[in-house]
Amino acid sequence: MGSAIGIIANPVSARDIRRVIANATALQITDRANIVLRILSCVKACGVDHVWMMPENGGIRHHVRRGIDRAENQGQTHFPRVEHLDYKISGTVDDTLKAARLMKEKGVAAIVVLGGDGTHRAVVTACGDVPIAGVSTGTNNAFPEHREPTITGLAVGLAVTGKVPASHAYLPNKKITVRVNGHEEIALVDVAVVTERYIGARALWRTETFRELFVTFADPEVIGMSAIAGLLSPVSRLDEGGLHVRLAPEDEASIVLDTPIAPGYMRGIGIRDYAPMKPNHKYRPSIADGSIALDGEREVSFTRDDDVTIELVPNAFRTVNVSGCMQYAARHGLMRMKPDQKLKRVGGQ
Amino acid sequence: MTAPNSTAGIFPLDKPGLLQAYRTMRTIREFEERLHADFAKGDIPGFVHLYAGEEAAGTGIMMHLEDKDRIASTHRGHGHCIAKGVDTSGMMAEIYGKVSGSCRGKGGSMHIADLSKGMMGANGILGAGAPLVCGAALAAKYRGDGGVAISFVGDGASNQGTFLESLNLAAVWNLPAIFVVENNGYAESTSRDYAVAVDSFVDRAAGFGLPGVTVDGLDFFAVYEAAGEIIKRAREGGGPALLECKMIRMYGHFEGDQQTYRAKGELDDIRANKDCLKMFTQRVMEAGVISRGELDAIDREVVAEIQEASAFAKAAPLPTAADLTTDVYVNY
Ligand SMILES: Cc1ncc(C[n+]2csc(CCOP(=O)(O)OP(=O)(O)O)c2C)c(N)n1
Ligand SMILES: [Mg+2]
Repeated sequence: MGSAIGIIANPVSARDIRRVIANATALQITDRANIVLRILSCVKACGVDHVWMMPENGGIRHHVRRGIDRAENQGQTHFPRVEHLDYKISGTVDDTLKAARLMKEKGVAAIVVLGGDGTHRAVVTACGDVPIAGVSTGTNNAFPEHREPTITGLAVGLAVTGKVPASHAYLPNKKITVRVNGHEEIALVDVAVVTERYIGARALWRTETFRELFVTFADPEVIGMSAIAGLLSPVSRLDEGGLHVRLAPEDEASIVLDTPIAPGYMRGIGIRDYAPMKPNHKYRPSIADGSIALDGEREVSFTRDDDVTIELVPNAFRTVNVSGCMQYAARHGLMRMKPDQKLKRVGGQ
Repeated sequence: MTAPNSTAGIFPLDKPGLLQAYRTMRTIREFEERLHADFAKGDIPGFVHLYAGEEAAGTGIMMHLEDKDRIASTHRGHGHCIAKGVDTSGMMAEIYGKVSGSCRGKGGSMHIADLSKGMMGANGILGAGAPLVCGAALAAKYRGDGGVAISFVGDGASNQGTFLESLNLAAVWNLPAIFVVENNGYAESTSRDYAVAVDSFVDRAAGFGLPGVTVDGLDFFAVYEAAGEIIKRAREGGGPALLECKMIRMYGHFEGDQQTYRAKGELDDIRANKDCLKMFTQRVMEAGVISRGELDAIDREVVAEIQEASAFAKAAPLPTAADLTTDVYVNY
């Protein structure tokens, strides 16, 4: 017996304007489907027999099905049983929210997410305490770590089958909660306050509208809004607090920071000041009217009449500790095969 | 009451720009609804395909264009014509097949053109606009006047060889050509899910080395922003790009379509929740930049304009037998 896992693969991440302004990646649907197939064979190799997937009309499902059918035709058995959740597809983020909720109800042991920061955020909104493992197929992707999905698949398989003990297999994560008149939204990495009052093309690239930034962690190796924080004062995912950065026009700035705010897109960002962001403390935006971007995408606009709070929440959700799982697997010889297993793999899968 | 004028840092257009966007979308909607009503009376020859519901896309793109910029439209071309500045009376008369029409009544709904406005024509042949746009873009590049050319194509028509060949040519020659896929989910009654093998138009563009962007075509601001960047890039010599606008048509494929392929309740849901004009109105009013009164005033003017266009078209004479061979052949 193995526990089931879920896979949520978003067909529409990495399609925004950053492909034109910044030569960002456009990972093709067939590539995404191939990533899913790689993950499927890896979790199966670890003993996961059943996978639930999010249904979508973007093409991933058909390519995955074809890949599995091809393998079955050839008598291969390296894929688990894959079922798609059954509901009417809306083609919007609601599909992701619904999939995460249903997967949680079905008791999956983990959810593998393919998408950008926005997709991960949607999953976290609905998955409760089910751990997630992120695979980056979006644009800025500060949240999911960048690595070959084969390894992510193996780590998830090792974690959910208990081969790696839970104490090593999972990590806690922070999030930021934004409340506008009680209505709640979350961000996994960054909350930016900008002057624009429309959502438009969603992405952030007009630096003159940036006013303020709150981050859960600040990694100088990522790009996007959180890169500003990362290049100022790194904060790890496991540190208690985050970072709060106030921006300023260049002539008023104490620091002007050369920052990759989109892929290959360097801009000078004026910094007024920065300070640790305290956990469980309610911050309010420094401007009266504007919009709030969550993980790099404008999502909500507000006016002086709205009550807006921004709060860092520790221990908000769990992720699979991919690096930790693989280290454990190596140190404890988990990948060493027994003689009968070895024979099976020779010459085939 | 008049709302404050400044939109700086709040919207990507100033207040006159926002009002112009509204006027254009509202004019298209009124024009199409008038045709919807009049077609049912049997007054109009041929087929008409309405652009109602899709106004935000055509308008958001065309707001960035000048008369020197050229567009090639589709069989669903009324919205593109209006947004590009073609006169609504001439259009209406053309649709009625009258001599006072934009093309003297010889083209009808699917062949409205006005070169003085850079509108190279609606087109009854799917995918036929894309090669025309390569030609217009090559001309602009050759002249060095910073002009761009935009081809509109439906999700269904995007499967035509002409369209795919044009993507290649535009990339090879680095033309200031832009390909807008108006993805409304259907080609007549065939759903896109069935008929488009590569499920993402951005992937298709990538196959030809073009950057592609997908936007919510119901959101005027999303289209406006993305189109602005793409057009600016093309003007500056950055080359072609593809823009996919996901949108919804409010009526049938053509007037008279029974729409049996639609899910139950689909149309009601569209009217209630997916009306691009309503979404625009809500956003600008919520921001306090434009008042209801200002929009109502535009509504009244638009209704009068379309009323006039319709009366003009109905009163205009039909072509006579003697007109049959005029304006058809051109001497070089
Ligand atoms: C070359 C060609 N083939 C077939 C047709 C018949 N036809 C007219 S409209 C249409 C469907 C077009 O669908 P789409 O491109 O998605 O545009 P939409 O009507 O949805 O705006 C078809 C098949 C045509 N006009 N030209
Ligand atoms: Mg269509």
